[in-house]
Amino acid sequence: MMEKNNSGMKKSNSENKINRRKFLISLGNTATGIVVLGGIGVTFEYLTPNVLLEIPKVFKIGPINSIQPNSVIFEPEQRTFVVREEQGSFYALSAVCTHLGCTTKWNDIGAAGNSAAVISCPCHGSLFNKYGEVLQGPAPRTLDKYRVQLEDDKLVINTGEKVSEDEMILKV
Amino acid sequence: MKILNNLAKTKFWQSVFRTKLPLSTNLDRSLVIFNSLTLHIHPVKVRLRAIKFSYTFYLGMISFFLFFVLIVTGVLLMLYYQPAIPHAYRNMKDLEYVVSNGSFLRNMHRWSAHLMVISVFLHMLRVFYKGAYKPPREFNWIIGIVLLVSTLLLSYTGYLLPYDQLSYWAVTVGTNIVQYIPVAGKEIRFLLLGGNEIGEYTLVRFYVLHCVVLPLVMILLIAFHFWRIRKDGGLL
Ligand code: HEM
Ligand code: FES
Repeated sequence: MMEKNNSGMKKSNSENKINRRKFLISLGNTATGIVVLGGIGVTFEYLTPNVLLEIPKVFKIGPINSIQPNSVIFEPEQRTFVVREEQGSFYALSAVCTHLGCTTKWNDIGAAGNSAAVISCPCHGSLFNKYGEVLQGPAPRTLDKYRVQLEDDKLVINTGEKVSEDEMILKV
Repeated sequence: MKILNNLAKTKFWQSVFRTKLPLSTNLDRSLVIFNSLTLHIHPVKVRLRAIKFSYTFYLGMISFFLFFVLIVTGVLLMLYYQPAIPHAYRNMKDLEYVVSNGSFLRNMHRWSAHLMVISVFLHMLRVFYKGAYKPPREFNWIIGIVLLVSTLLLSYTGYLLPYDQLSYWAVTVGTNIVQYIPVAGKEIRFLLLGGNEIGEYTLVRFYVLHCVVLPLVMILLIAFHFWRIRKDGGLL
């Protein structure tokens, strides 16, 4: 056993020496490796589009005095509910279900045993209250809230900027 | 019979079928199999039980047949279908109501797809209950799993192509599930959709996957699957 190991060691030692053949082989392997990796990288880059004709993240709605108190405007393109509560209180809620992304529906008269307004998802039955809080799963978390700002007399909603509950309401 | 015998003597026949007729010895008979691409799907000698219906219920072959039907009907459907957003839905409606026998073809494609999922699954159950996944057949079992997954992916990618409400939301839900894959989930979803939302690029990507990439993968793997059955010593 020992002898075998020893001779094995010796052999691998002499094998570790770089001769011309080994040098050329590893040079070739390295070059092939670089080309393959580069090829994969270039392909992934190709598969990632640079220009997307997607709807803009920021949109305007208003003028605000034409929005009735206690009303909801649904923007289908942006999949957003814009809500006016009392006179001077606005917020924007994503209509995208937090379960797997279907578009939810606002039901003013309530649904599924809830008498207050609820937001319901047609795909797997999630229910949210009018602030987007989950009443019934499978949705795991509240609907996203977007930043609403006032510009002149219009509301500017940025669906790229999610805000917390404390920041969601715009008082005018 | 005489006509057939005479036909078998013509130069044309002999150039197509490499074995000389008439057959007299067992060697001749085995040469028929050896010399034919289609017949040598079976070895020259098979155990009787391997070709008995009650042994395999022909489930693998039924899957293969359905795959063939899907290729034929699919290629025909491609002739009236354009994978672009204003067209896809209308093309599908045209196939239903305007193109002669279009709805027949479309239904054939659809039903074969459903049946194939069922038959591949039953085939897998049969292999499992026979214990045919054990060595030396483990690798063919793995190939089989990839075939099952490819079958499901073909169904899934095909589902977007009519571009109706069902398609749209099925793909929304499906790609959102993909998003939960650890680490690379979001990137995979972006690459699948060709964007952040389902759009033109998504339709083309799913179309290419459905009509080119996945069928090619399937064909290669099925060929390998069949070859391995032989090399692993035939059916268990
Ligand atoms: C596209 C789908 C598939 C096709 C076309 C296909 C085709 C076939 C065919 C024609 C056979 C010959 C025996 C028979 O008919 O039962 C076979 C055997 C076999 N298949 Fe598949 N198959 C598919 C999927 C699968 C799957 C999903 C599995 C398992 C994960 C699998 C594992 C096997 C194994 C291990 C054998 C050898 C069985 C034995 O030795 O008894 N195949 N396949
Ligand atoms: S996507 Fe809304 S409940 Fe599943």
